Amino acid sequence: MSWEVDYLAIAPELIIIGSLFLVLGLDLTLPRLKKYWTATAAVAGSALALIPLAFLAVEGETISMFDGSYVVDEFALVLKGLFLVTAYIVFLMSVNYIESERYYQGEYYLLLLASVLGSLVLASARDLIVLFIGIELVTGPLYLLAGWRKGDVKSNEASLKYFILGVLSTAILLYGMSVLYGLTGEITFSGLAEATAAMPNSPALTMAVLFLIVGFGFKISAVPFHFWAPDTYEGAPTPITAYLSVNSKAAGFVAMLLVMYLALPGVSDVWAPALWALAALSMTIGNLSALRQTNIVRLLAYSSIAQAGFMLVPFAAAAVAGADLEEAFSATVIYLVIYAVMNLGAFGVVIAGARTTKSGEISDWAGLSNVDSRAAVLVAVFFFSLAGIPPLAGWFAKFVMFRSVMIAGGAATVVLAVVAAVNAVIALYYYAKVVKSVWLDDATREFPGEFDEPPAGSLRLALAISVGLTVVVGFFPALATFVADASRVIAAGG
Amino acid sequence: MVEPILFVLMSMAALAGAVTVVAARNPVYSAMGLLGTLFSVAVLYVLQLAHLVAAVQVIVYAGAVLTLFLFVIMLIGVDKEEHWEEPLRYQRSFVAGMAGVVVLMAAGLTFFTDFDWVPAAVGGTDPSRTIGTVQAIAEPMFTDWVLAFEATALLLTIAAAGAIALAHYRRRPH
Repeated sequence: MSWEVDYLAIAPELIIIGSLFLVLGLDLTLPRLKKYWTATAAVAGSALALIPLAFLAVEGETISMFDGSYVVDEFALVLKGLFLVTAYIVFLMSVNYIESERYYQGEYYLLLLASVLGSLVLASARDLIVLFIGIELVTGPLYLLAGWRKGDVKSNEASLKYFILGVLSTAILLYGMSVLYGLTGEITFSGLAEATAAMPNSPALTMAVLFLIVGFGFKISAVPFHFWAPDTYEGAPTPITAYLSVNSKAAGFVAMLLVMYLALPGVSDVWAPALWALAALSMTIGNLSALRQTNIVRLLAYSSIAQAGFMLVPFAAAAVAGADLEEAFSATVIYLVIYAVMNLGAFGVVIAGARTTKSGEISDWAGLSNVDSRAAVLVAVFFFSLAGIPPLAGWFAKFVMFRSVMIAGGAATVVLAVVAAVNAVIALYYYAKVVKSVWLDDATREFPGEFDEPPAGSLRLALAISVGLTVVVGFFPALATFVADASRVIAAGG
Repeated sequence: MVEPILFVLMSMAALAGAVTVVAARNPVYSAMGLLGTLFSVAVLYVLQLAHLVAAVQVIVYAGAVLTLFLFVIMLIGVDKEEHWEEPLRYQRSFVAGMAGVVVLMAAGLTFFTDFDWVPAAVGGTDPSRTIGTVQAIAEPMFTDWVLAFEATALLLTIAAAGAIALAHYRRRPH
């Protein structure tokens, strides 16, 4: 047992903690009109934290700390990179949104940085306790941030719904974990993997595993645990919605995959059918509900539920077919990374477009291309990418998903692939409907907002990063397969 | 010999407090009854050598939670009239009957069978052989689980900061 702490390995976490305290100090000392410096500290912190990640990636060593419960390997580095880049984009989107609406700024960045720190901890967690605290650190601040528009009833509802259902799911998750610990006496993933593989399948073990899936299902807002998502997404400040649909969902996925893949491979006959059902239900119900939405944020909420279903497909398919999980694992991670970039872009363009339309109704966005052609182009890019149209990055995510299903083979897998294919077509319809409204429909009214001056520099930078990544990965998918190679490392023993 | 005497005394005190919570007409007396129960149970924890749990019981429940109760009672008003009409008419007699059955069952199990309520104590009264002392819990917490401990500390900090930011009411926009 060694208590050596490799400070380079946890440097990203330390930098985020440092900027967190900097935000706290700045908020305390700065006069009200200079509070925007807290935003600068948060943006700089999330960018600086990427530097030690690059060093660690070049070194490429697997570093294990705290008796194996905290591991920094290539897989963890890729996910930390994803979490930091998306957090950076969300911070950029927040700057003007938060300042112009006169919310509390210092606390906003403090809470969001704490959530980012949680996702970094989560990516390295290799035992149940660290994993659980990581998840709570991700979601805890978001309960508060969802209600940041304090005067707005919808925002209060968003926060309250998210909080109550989130706490309930956390309790179920924790119950499952404690039963698992009670049955095996193990808390690390490697210990759990050995113990569960050796023990006979008991009702208590099945219950524990299903409880874990219910708990994670809430975090990734998979059907039938999705009821909080549309209302929370609609009521929360839009940058927080973007964060919820990308970082917090990705964190839930990472936790779920880590536990299923590293700790419970021996009981895949329990969780594989459950994940199969979650994937099929999420895709179908998410897409069918999205068809009926008239509000663009609610549409994106249901679309993100459906996308969670697509992300589950490779893993569920491979586990049901009993195929090698390694391929499926990397397919899900690739899908997650590409989805994160394009979905952030979609929310960014919603913020940018809402400056002109001052409305979330899709019909109010009609004719936007006449007054703000750049925003209209970006709407087309991100929504077509979400639909999976080449050459935008979304096609590669879908391609990898279907390829891993083909590799897995088997009857149940083919059924899931057919469900996914049908749903991809349904999704195209409602994504295209938004683009049609923006480009082809005539404006039914005068746009109330401003459109003469471009959006703030930070928002433009956020959009530029997202659109750049969406287009470049679409043309050079090899960039994304690098992610896949890194996520394979975990198969070699994590 | 101290142990059984203390156990009987404290159990009776806990029961008396619990009855006060339900029976008292004045909500402040109810809260005080609850306080008595919480303290008595804390002493029972000490008897079981669970020192940390006993301390947490006093600090968190008797200290924080009960103060919160008192705040709420004071906010609502102590001298508020209470309605004594019962929406469920037979609930009191029903609960009394249930309690009687439970007590009879416990008595039957204890006196007429060889049911073992508590497995024979392993540690006895030797504090060095238990895992409930402050030291025994502190050591793994600050060595094996120091990472989780620190992260939890941050979680509590942001909870406090966020609660204040959400609850604080700004009178006029600047």
